[in-house]
Amino acid sequence: MENNKYDIIIGLEIHIQTKTKSKMFCTCPTGYFQKEPNTHVCPVCLGLPGALPVPNKRAIELCILMGLATHCTISNEIYFDRKHYFYPDLPKGYQISQYKNPICSNGLVKLSNTTVEIERIHQEEDVAKSTHHTEAGTNKEYSLIDYNKSGVPLIEIVTKPCIRSSSQAKEYATRIRQIARYLNISDADMEKGQMRCEPNISIQEKGKWKQEGREVVPIGNYKLNAKIEIKNIGSITAVEKSINYEVDRLIEEIEAGNNIKQQTRGWNANKGITEFQRSKETSDDYRYMAEPDIPVIKISKEDTDRISKELIELPDKKLDRYINTYQLSEYDANVLSANKDVAVLFDKLVVDIENELKDLPTSAKLASNCITGTIFAWINEKGISISSANLDIADLVAWNLALNSKEITKSKAEKLLRESLDNKKDLSKLLDDFRKQSSESATNLTDIVKDVILKNEKAVNDFKNGNKASMGFLIGQVMQITQGSADPNETKSILIKELE
Amino acid sequence: MKIDINFLKHMAKLSRIKLSQKELEKFTPQMKTILESVDVLQEVDTAGIKPMKKRVSFSDLREDIATISLTQEEVLRNANHTEMNLVKIYGKIF
Ligand SMILES: [Zn+2]
Repeated sequence: MENNKYDIIIGLEIHIQTKTKSKMFCTCPTGYFQKEPNTHVCPVCLGLPGALPVPNKRAIELCILMGLATHCTISNEIYFDRKHYFYPDLPKGYQISQYKNPICSNGLVKLSNTTVEIERIHQEEDVAKSTHHTEAGTNKEYSLIDYNKSGVPLIEIVTKPCIRSSSQAKEYATRIRQIARYLNISDADMEKGQMRCEPNISIQEKGKWKQEGREVVPIGNYKLNAKIEIKNIGSITAVEKSINYEVDRLIEEIEAGNNIKQQTRGWNANKGITEFQRSKETSDDYRYMAEPDIPVIKISKEDTDRISKELIELPDKKLDRYINTYQLSEYDANVLSANKDVAVLFDKLVVDIENELKDLPTSAKLASNCITGTIFAWINEKGISISSANLDIADLVAWNLALNSKEITKSKAEKLLRESLDNKKDLSKLLDDFRKQSSESATNLTDIVKDVILKNEKAVNDFKNGNKASMGFLIGQVMQITQGSADPNETKSILIKELE
Repeated sequence: MKIDINFLKHMAKLSRIKLSQKELEKFTPQMKTILESVDVLQEVDTAGIKPMKKRVSFSDLREDIATISLTQEEVLRNANHTEMNLVKIYGKIF
């Protein structure tokens, strides 16, 4: 999507429902997915007159945690504001949000080739779920409302207009989702609406504009093209696709000499296009005012220090460690760091194998192959997560050591691991059985070789007289007796030993 | 801020209230009087006076414990219309 004439300017707003037990300002349960409608509702989240909001401590901790993970400055005072608009999914007539003083500001997220600057992360509350219908018979339009979602804690993460391509936007959204999942801030499942991305896009001529903080300003007499917002994005892939579509559409419009009107468009995933939703000729009039029902909340350094204890090593740090210290390929490092449960298993396995081998890169390579090979193939096939695979670290260590010492061939080892996973069998028991069997078959093989030597006097003499081809004949005899199950190399070494 | 009939029209639109021309003409001077009397507050010298807003510590916030409050029947009791235990609202929105 590189273009010689135009720059692509993207800002991203991401909403994430944080993982708390109770709602943002009342004690109603948050879990609303597939629940009976209007059963997790109280006077506060129903907006009944006189009901008072009481902020949820854990929700604010999770907002701060997201800010710490993205290197934001954390405010030492929290203020809430009312954002007014009339819509049936918002029974109070206003949403409690934050306007001038967000909890977190000026953060950054490092991507593979660039850094995305975060303008702010603020705390707010989700609205009710509404669906729109037309009544059969009367043809009247109506909406159905379930208030279970009303008041669920929601954080909004806003970037500066510093993203320059759809692939950067996709990488950024993926990284935010990964951080949220790693730190248990949210499951961030976009299909369930736990994470929502809204890109805003404008196309400007190269060299005719500059970014000043969160603003895009024109240089000289240049007239900026209007900004487009995209809504209804249901997956990370759709972030990239919808931006690509919109960029192409905007460039076509501009090239055709058309004036771009500021508007909100919706992504239609089935058709793969964005569709006009509403024009935004005037800025929204939300009549923000300070929320009088919630006091100012002080955040001390002790509070942020305590919350920062929840900051575990994030995927970008893990990736860096896997590549530079463990000497893994970038591909393997990416695959192993992407999911927290996989990374935790991998880290444990490496430490335990290294304890035995005293060789870090080899241990890392073994653990990496073990997880990304047979184990990944198996969990993908079964469609389960790594945490529900019931893997035993000690067993996996023993398996990797056997493989490393060449005690067992790769294909045989993989067969055993597979068997233990498929039939929930103890892997160390399978390894022990294998060892017993192979020592028995080794004794057997020596007997067979001795027998072949006795019965093939001529070939033995030929070999002793320097005819190397006779060795092939003798191996062939052993293979015939064992019906091909003997290992040719092993047979050869036993033959040589016995002929000396 | 100029308090005229257009201001009132804008407020009515944001509040989703339909006002007739007659009502707009009646309410505009009333709104003007209300806002002008509140405006008197602006004349008070507040230099050096800190906002009188209550401050609480982080530890005073509510712990994250969930409890069930209203029954579905209670929630739906005040709704004019319901359908499949959802609140039903007639009208086109946006
Ligand atoms: Zn509630």
